[in-house]
Amino acid sequence: MESNGSVSSMVNLEKFLCERLVDQSQPISERFRALFSLRNLKGPGPRNALILASRDSSNLLAHEAAFALGQMQDAEAIPALESVLNDMSLHPIVRHEAAEALGAIGLAGNVNILKKSLSSDPAQEVRETCELALKRIEDMSNVDAENQSSTTEKSPFMSVDPAGPAASFSSVHQLRQVLLDETKGMYERYAALFALRNHGGEEAVSAIVDSLSASSALLRHEVAYVLGQLQSKTALATLSKVLRDVNEHPMVRHEAAEALGSIADEQSIALLEEFSKDPEPIVAQSCEVALSMLEFENSGKSFEFFFTQDPLVH
Amino acid sequence: MSDEEHHFESSDAGASKTYPQQAGTIRKNGYIVIKNRPCKVVEVSTSKTGKHGHAKCHFVAIDIFTSKKLEDIVPSSHNCDVPHVNRTDYQLIDISEDGYVSLLTDNGSTKDDLKLPNDDTLLQQIKSGFDDGKDLVVSVMSAMGEEQINALKDIGPK
Repeated sequence: MESNGSVSSMVNLEKFLCERLVDQSQPISERFRALFSLRNLKGPGPRNALILASRDSSNLLAHEAAFALGQMQDAEAIPALESVLNDMSLHPIVRHEAAEALGAIGLAGNVNILKKSLSSDPAQEVRETCELALKRIEDMSNVDAENQSSTTEKSPFMSVDPAGPAASFSSVHQLRQVLLDETKGMYERYAALFALRNHGGEEAVSAIVDSLSASSALLRHEVAYVLGQLQSKTALATLSKVLRDVNEHPMVRHEAAEALGSIADEQSIALLEEFSKDPEPIVAQSCEVALSMLEFENSGKSFEFFFTQDPLVH
Repeated sequence: MSDEEHHFESSDAGASKTYPQQAGTIRKNGYIVIKNRPCKVVEVSTSKTGKHGHAKCHFVAIDIFTSKKLEDIVPSSHNCDVPHVNRTDYQLIDISEDGYVSLLTDNGSTKDDLKLPNDDTLLQQIKSGFDDGKDLVVSVMSAMGEEQINALKDIGPK
């Protein structure tokens, strides 16, 4: 893919990114930039750096490293993710992300690892994630059998989602009802969420925003993440409210902060600066990262470290 | 961004002059609207995806009327405006002193609202061809309510 002349500069860049990722003297936002640049690379170098980072003293960085490993869908990372999931000394948000990553990689062999944590992990968000991941793996094997793609349907945001989007023939109104229905299963609500996201438009976005009042913190955190994908200014007020709510789960406030960074409205700067001093490090660091994302977004530059030579083929 | 002399502003330059297309699908040599100007894309690069998974497309493009270079960065999943660009050929009838040209339309009437192009080479080709008494066909490019002579199609002897 890369021309011969750039091979050595690619190697240097990879080394630079790996070092930057694990360098605790760097600002968290710079380490984040390295993390999401490495997420786009392949091979043992980036993988090992991300595995090392998944046990970083910053829970925020550690969980994003686990997330990135899942998004890369690299089966070689499974043993490391399993050990993260089973390590009760790690923050629940990190274990949650390891479970989600195992679901994203999606191999049938991950089922037993996830089943074990589903019955034994003390944290609700981890158990809920295991349930989702198991359903995703099951769904994918069914899909393979029928040779039909819904779970494997590519996200327009190039993300590997924890659930496939609900069937596209459902109306926005129907999807909204499923997403907001507290009696429905988590996987079904996730599927509605991703279908609404892929559908886009005002009505869909407003349904997604409304689901920030769901009772599951796990669902709320995914909703905040999706709003960061959509970059819709309609979500600004509600996301700001979530970030301000000190009684909200840190995982949800963290995603709200980074979604605000992604939407990159200048009005969010004061709020993000205020909460970059939040006593909860996950929230405070997320605000730091978000401020950096916002600045890059508004200066028209890429948050990641480089551009590819050729446009991606979709 | 005002090279007023070669802008032919139109009051109805609006949605119908363009159509939406996802940024990630716009390729080199395609068209795109940047800063409300119709442009031809000369370079596209796509950033790698970040936390929220959206890649960004970086466009370098040339204003099809002013040749000015413009750049834009758009999330690849977002829609860009793409101008409808049309080309029509007319026979050149006359060049007036003030630089306006008279063109023969299909229905036999004349079109007298266009100036000679700004591009020096093209301008000289048209002028000298006309002075030599040749039959000239010019190609007029139009987009977003603006139009301009952008090529000399055919030089036939009189």
